[in-house]
Amino acid sequence: MDVWIAGAGMTHIGRRAESLQRLMAAAAHAALADAGVERPDAIVVAAMNPEEFVGDGNFASNVTTHMGFAEVPAIRIETATSSGAAAFYAGVAQVAAGLARRVLVVGGEKMTHLPTPRVSELIGRSIDPYERSYGATMPALAGLITRALMTRHGVGEREIGQVAVKNHANAARNPYAHFREPVTLEQVMASRMVADPLRLLHCCPISDGAAAVLVTAERAPVRVAGIGQGTDTLAVRHRHELTSFRATQMAARAAFAMAGFGPARVDFAELHDAFTPFELIALEDIGLVPPGKAARATLDGETALDGRLPINPSGGLKARGHPLAATGVAQIVECVWQLTGRAEGRQVSGRVALAHSIGGLATNNWVTLLQGA
Amino acid sequence: MIETIPASRCPRCGFVAAPPAPFCPRHAVSMTPTAVAGVGEIVSFTTLHSPPEGFRSPLHIALIALEGGARFVCHGSQTRGVRIGSRVAIEAIDDVYYFSSLSALDRARMFWRRTGRAGDRVNAMTRSVVKRIFRGGSSAASQ
Repeated sequence: MDVWIAGAGMTHIGRRAESLQRLMAAAAHAALADAGVERPDAIVVAAMNPEEFVGDGNFASNVTTHMGFAEVPAIRIETATSSGAAAFYAGVAQVAAGLARRVLVVGGEKMTHLPTPRVSELIGRSIDPYERSYGATMPALAGLITRALMTRHGVGEREIGQVAVKNHANAARNPYAHFREPVTLEQVMASRMVADPLRLLHCCPISDGAAAVLVTAERAPVRVAGIGQGTDTLAVRHRHELTSFRATQMAARAAFAMAGFGPARVDFAELHDAFTPFELIALEDIGLVPPGKAARATLDGETALDGRLPINPSGGLKARGHPLAATGVAQIVECVWQLTGRAEGRQVSGRVALAHSIGGLATNNWVTLLQGA
Repeated sequence: MIETIPASRCPRCGFVAAPPAPFCPRHAVSMTPTAVAGVGEIVSFTTLHSPPEGFRSPLHIALIALEGGARFVCHGSQTRGVRIGSRVAIEAIDDVYYFSSLSALDRARMFWRRTGRAGDRVNAMTRSVVKRIFRGGSSAASQ
């Protein structure tokens, strides 16, 4: 059965004073209003770690009660930093299976009220415990991957810096983005070293925010063409490859197989650029550019807003921001707005959009394909 | 001194995990205990300038491909002269593993130590070191 997206909504991403519940309610009510639906048949909630970040458990009931849907069936889905994409999958699956006709998917996270080392430690718990016992954090593992990419695949400082420049430029046009100021390549290359060779401006910020969509069995302007999940070992040391992600490749294969078309049909994409080199890796893993060509394509402006294949028109995790479980849903929201001509100030043209979300250090990834009318 | 690192091997696919794991990450079968010699090549490394609580800055972390087949994560005391592909030895200091560059003296010592604590594995390792020295020598001679 075809599944459609009838409504989309999100909060501004950034440092927010409101509670997590308040943010998620705002996004949920906006998506429902957009769809013209008063009350969904079911709700799928995504929050990566509300127990530690905000101190609340039983979170599906907690947040749906807060938003006025205490009597609507609700579940919570968690796959680390890709929880939003996984929740979208669960919502689509419910509709496709005929278990519900209109499902609200809402993801959110709130972290900026905690000190940065505490937030890093909590996010880092998605890493293999042995690797963590050696001080491995998300930036540390990304640093290992980046050095291998730069040494073995000829990717340079300019290329990984250009991803940040491009995504900040896009976010400057997105009123919902965490960062609204452009950055220069010089600024990126002069920013402080975080996990050598990764610098501060290669990394996404810590953000608060929420996003929601209404998926439905009734025909709507955007159709879910394909969705795929890919997985890999928790420990990075147990993998055969360091500079490509099996989980992304597997998710992309599944999504394209379901859609019945290939990467050549994709007009623009939202990719998981938590660290800028990850955007280059994703471009090749998904097959959007030929192997070894992502860096060149980026330098040549192919992935810019006015390029052949705009990547992260929203600004991506890098500059729109990365409120963990909200991110996977926020990517879908951006794609819906782009496909329906509502991405004011950063509108790209195209009928097929792709969203890619990474869970943990690429242990549980998702690729979603959306098709506009 | 070359460390012997406890590991485990999957009877199905031969995958070696270090430290040992009860099950293969890719097959639901019990792994067989084994050990690997603490020598290998740097796959990648990084330096953290604001490491997590409990670690001193700067913190050097490396991913090593051990000769026994396992990939291993450990610390380094410094990264001067270290490159991807550098040959390193693993040493345990207070139960924490560190890599250090393999000096010419270490290579010579390993060459002569035909039967060490690790038995066959050290022999296998020695053979590979000999091969490497031989290869290095012949290419130097041909220039």
